[in-house]
Amino acid sequence: MAVATALPAQTPTVSFDRDVKPVFEARCVKCHGPKMQLGKLDMRTREAAVAGGAHGPAFVAGNAEQSRLYRHVAGLEKPLMPMDGKLSEAEIGILKDWIDQGAPWQGTLAEVVKKKEEAPEERTVRAEARQSWSFQLPKAQQPPVNGAAEWDAHPVDAFLYRTWREKGLTPAPLAGRTTLARRAYLDLIGLPPTPEQVKAFVEDGSPKAWEKLIDQLLASPHYGERWGRHWLDVARYADSNGYEHDFDRPNAWRYRDYVIAAFNKDTPFDEFLREQIAGDEMEEATSERLIATGFLRNYAKVGFREKDNPQFRFDYLDDMIATVGRGVIGLTVQCARCHDHKFDPIPQRDYYAMQASLWGYVEVDHPLVPKPEADAYATEVAEVEAKQKPLKAEVKEIEAPYARQVRESKYRKWPQHIQEAVFTPEEKRTPGQVLLANQIIRTTGVSSAEIDRLMKPEDLKRKKELLAKIAVIEKDRPKPIPVAMGITDGDYRFTPDGAGDEPAPGKGIKREAIEGAFLSDGTKPYIAPPAYFLHHGDAESRGKEMQPGFVQVASYSKLPVELPPAHRRTSGRRMALANWLASRDNPLTARVMANRIWHHHFGRGIVTTLDNFGKTGEAPTHPELLDWLAVRFQDNGWSIKSMHRLVMTSRAYRMTSGFSSAANERVDADNLYWWRYRAQRLEAEIVRDSILHVAGTLNTKMGGQAVFPPLPEETLKSMDKGIWLRQADGEETWRRSVYIYRKRGLPFPFFEVFDLPDQNITCGRRNVSTVPTQALTLLHNEFVIAQAARLADRVASEAGSAKEAQVDRAYLLALGRAPSEAERREGVAFLSEQPLQGLTHVLLNLNEFVYLR
Amino acid sequence: MAFTDRRKFLFEAGGGLSGVALSWLLGQRGLLGAEGAPAACANAAVKDSPFLPRKPHFEPRAKAVISLFMSGGVSQMDTFDPKPALEKYAGQPLPVKGDIVVRQGHPGPLMPSPFTFKQYGQSGLPVSELFPHVASHADELAVIRSVVGRSNDHVMAHYELASGTVRMGAPSVGSWVTYGLGSENQNLPAFVVVYDARGGPFGGPSNWSAGYMPAAYQGTVFRSAGDPIMDLKPPATVPGGQMKERLALLEKLNRLDAEKNPANSELAARITSYELAYRMQGCAPQAVEIDSESAATKALYGLDNPVTAPFGRQCLMARRLVERGVRFVQLYHGGLGIQNTDTWDAHGNVKENHTQHAAEVDLPMAGLLTDLKARGLLDETLVVWQSEFGRMPISQRGLGRDHNPGTMSIWMAGAKIKGGQAIGASDEFGYKAEQQIVTTHDLHATMLHLVGMDHTKLTYAYQGRQMRLTDVYGEVIPQIKAV
Repeated sequence: MAVATALPAQTPTVSFDRDVKPVFEARCVKCHGPKMQLGKLDMRTREAAVAGGAHGPAFVAGNAEQSRLYRHVAGLEKPLMPMDGKLSEAEIGILKDWIDQGAPWQGTLAEVVKKKEEAPEERTVRAEARQSWSFQLPKAQQPPVNGAAEWDAHPVDAFLYRTWREKGLTPAPLAGRTTLARRAYLDLIGLPPTPEQVKAFVEDGSPKAWEKLIDQLLASPHYGERWGRHWLDVARYADSNGYEHDFDRPNAWRYRDYVIAAFNKDTPFDEFLREQIAGDEMEEATSERLIATGFLRNYAKVGFREKDNPQFRFDYLDDMIATVGRGVIGLTVQCARCHDHKFDPIPQRDYYAMQASLWGYVEVDHPLVPKPEADAYATEVAEVEAKQKPLKAEVKEIEAPYARQVRESKYRKWPQHIQEAVFTPEEKRTPGQVLLANQIIRTTGVSSAEIDRLMKPEDLKRKKELLAKIAVIEKDRPKPIPVAMGITDGDYRFTPDGAGDEPAPGKGIKREAIEGAFLSDGTKPYIAPPAYFLHHGDAESRGKEMQPGFVQVASYSKLPVELPPAHRRTSGRRMALANWLASRDNPLTARVMANRIWHHHFGRGIVTTLDNFGKTGEAPTHPELLDWLAVRFQDNGWSIKSMHRLVMTSRAYRMTSGFSSAANERVDADNLYWWRYRAQRLEAEIVRDSILHVAGTLNTKMGGQAVFPPLPEETLKSMDKGIWLRQADGEETWRRSVYIYRKRGLPFPFFEVFDLPDQNITCGRRNVSTVPTQALTLLHNEFVIAQAARLADRVASEAGSAKEAQVDRAYLLALGRAPSEAERREGVAFLSEQPLQGLTHVLLNLNEFVYLR
Repeated sequence: MAFTDRRKFLFEAGGGLSGVALSWLLGQRGLLGAEGAPAACANAAVKDSPFLPRKPHFEPRAKAVISLFMSGGVSQMDTFDPKPALEKYAGQPLPVKGDIVVRQGHPGPLMPSPFTFKQYGQSGLPVSELFPHVASHADELAVIRSVVGRSNDHVMAHYELASGTVRMGAPSVGSWVTYGLGSENQNLPAFVVVYDARGGPFGGPSNWSAGYMPAAYQGTVFRSAGDPIMDLKPPATVPGGQMKERLALLEKLNRLDAEKNPANSELAARITSYELAYRMQGCAPQAVEIDSESAATKALYGLDNPVTAPFGRQCLMARRLVERGVRFVQLYHGGLGIQNTDTWDAHGNVKENHTQHAAEVDLPMAGLLTDLKARGLLDETLVVWQSEFGRMPISQRGLGRDHNPGTMSIWMAGAKIKGGQAIGASDEFGYKAEQQIVTTHDLHATMLHLVGMDHTKLTYAYQGRQMRLTDVYGEVIPQIKAV
């Protein structure tokens, strides 16, 4: 019969058991079944699948095109399902046909797992994973003996010399004393030496002149301002919140000052880490240590509707993990938030174990006065408020009828349909009117002044009397006590509401359903709120509750993961974390810090990727030297100053940067092996500080509130949230750059031009670029021009009016050296027609001025 | 050139500008004056720079991008996504399960658009009465009605559109494009931002940050009046002649130094950077010298009307910059002065707010499209009109609309994109995107595609990862890809 061939090809009937069930069991039930129901969807039974998840039913029987299940597996809607890889075209076709055919379903499904897998929450790291160099403990290396006495004398030189000999490289001669003085000053304190300081060093005949200079600079308070700044980059320190409101952080500066002081005091680095991660958990939680906890709180923060957006907290924790990971152990632990690390042996488990270690944290303003004083303050505040309370209530009572009047008159100003909604009695409103009336009534505010205008004289009089009484009581309110912006353990779910924090309807944490308090009073041991493993990093996809822990590949001993303190107010998890980080059984911490110190002295790390010692980081050029430095660092009690002395007394540090050698260039054009000193462009802050210093205008006052050098109104307009005080250009703002307000939403333009790193992410190594806008800034910026004029005044007063003397003095002040013959000639010729401030301006623009050589 | 992270960020003199060239430049009065010296501003031969033009991955559809960003959140139901159902169900609750997440206060009832829609052009693309001039280009617009974002917070949403993530610290699209392609003109910044005279957009300069990339790739702000770049010209206290002398001395002294330090190639790079700075000083003002345009052109952009003149100037600057080889121009309309009136953030009254702001941008944007087309630039320029999120189909206090990242409408034009089409769709009320959901990653993938780059291959090595603008996501929108 002809009919059969004329019929369209029939879609074969799909069998649930044969075709569909295997797909579901192998690919869907893992995440939508007994173990978890991601997106609140359960695919074990037809009823559950039809009831659906957070986004609705899984399918509409008979209509695949309208079914979420089909749309997600076919890629019509995102995310593509299953998450671990697309289904085959045949499988997608089967599911489509099955739904179109009415989605028949028999029985309950169970997950079919092909092979037994370790639960992701418990994934361990195998011993082989430790083979990579950075995961092995640093070994105590013997410096090589090269048979070259002048290089064998210092271990750093001995290690470097071995490579030079192997590669056939000739090391550069030593730099002259003038150059060395400038190098040491800029490197250690970030200010160029005065002519007198250069002279003193050049003329010091003592064989220990260099060591003396280093000690003298290490004892300078400016040392902390210079080296503390390097750590502030790692700590992503800033004075404002960032994001929309960019709220001021009025106490952030205390952390900045803490870091500067810690460097000046040479706080052992292991102690420095403990203070910053767990200062509040230490036996003696001094003010300093409470301030130090600001380290973990330096993340950019939205600061608005925090309660409605619980995911913010996960991002802040992620930022902490990223900062501790890269900053302290040089590992990109944060890559394991959503899945096991792609390159390093860091399972997702390690991320959530570390998150559990930090999970109890809450933001808190630590009082910086003794406890009795802080308690007294709280009591006095409470007393003042208690006395005011009945008076305020009475004011409210008097105002109430008038407030109603004002409100009603405001309602009457709305268009008709809104008035209708508001004035219709509540029970008679349509569902739409309920919403509208609710919006209007709840958001109509009445000001005190509006009420006063309507008040009867006697009521107004009474109100004013009450307000006067309140004001009198207010005078007893004690002055706020100083506080530090830090963290401690508590229960974040009870964080007091801040500005804009009232939860929107249906959002926020249901506090009534849990028991607890924001801070623990220590009457019973503190217990951290539960922390969970999150599948795919999704806050809605909780796995098992996590115990605190560390990065396994870098854990060589079974250190405790919790060290509850005697005061019982915290968990001691952060203390345990800090102890592990600062432990000699951690292969990374000492290496990473020794490498940072080396980088800043030598312009390049032994590992160039300062924040990444993982597999995708660069391998060390001198692994034995790095190990030797790391072990020495630990042996020297983690003293950073001892490392400066060690490294700077090498010959390698004192080599000239101006040496050239065609033979060397052929082997190592990039000077990876430090056969000469690497010249470095000064950092943004140091360029500015140097200008102020040579102009003689630097205000050396240390610490305290940040300063706000003037910025063009145009620039301020680009970000008018948060604060920027209008301070005048002058002594008050001519402070060292480390004290300039760090506004996340508006990086200081002068710094930004000179490669200021993003202030919101941890950064060990700054980029160095050379772009025309830097030239424009040094040529045209009013600050630079004004300082050049100051420098000219200084030159004139110190050198007199003779042009040659002026050129000489200007060179000495700006560059610490006398001009060459040719330079003097050019300078004098210039001064015959141009003002002195032209010359000083040019000197501030010289290559030599902005380079450390 | 391969896209590697080892790219040098230093200029080298060598085959570039010589001292002679600088002296010659110094002698050109034109460079100091507003009239400019067009030939010298065309381009500088530089051997190595972060902005050297680089080959795209494949034949690009566009050489440059102009992004028109409407800060504050444009309502889709009132502009490019008509929703007749809102008339029918006016005053009733939005029939959805679960919570309606509003930004401020409490959800209100459904509110029809106060604006009427008409169909325009051969395509019959519907556009509301707010944009009569842009509507005359209906057949050139590809409207995407199903763009979804991740946040209903202005700033996070701005960051997402700018960089693909709501968090701070990632490079913006403009940074990626200039990192990938460099610039056609070394005398001008490669990535230029012009924001509203009323103030910067929500989130400020982080919107054009280079994030973890070198700072050189961040956007350079051009002011819409006065000297375009901060510190472009010496302050009045230093006479121009003196500055010229200083530059000449600086160059001599730097050269003496470089001769003593032949090993240090960075020194040569720094000398070149001063030469380029000097060129920029002449070329940047000239690039934005709007007064030299004809009266007809000025009228085209609405410069003769105080309502349209401010954004008109921004649009005209954009055309002049693109014409001169600037790679990415980011314009912002709406600035943080008074949020509810100076931006599109129509919480209080959508009719008043959008009427005002559409009137400010409609004619200038239409003028830009007309002008680009007339000059043959439209086919090689991608114009993207966008905002940080859409708005709610329900009312806020009866007259306003709250934030809604569930769907927004944006449009693209130029770059040989097929116009007159509407891509994707939101649900019947305009509450959520429903058909062909487009994420910011998809938008970014599409933008990169149009300038000749594969978003999966444009990477920057950072912290052990090959970072991408689109993270591990993103698909080029097929209807835009189709020629």
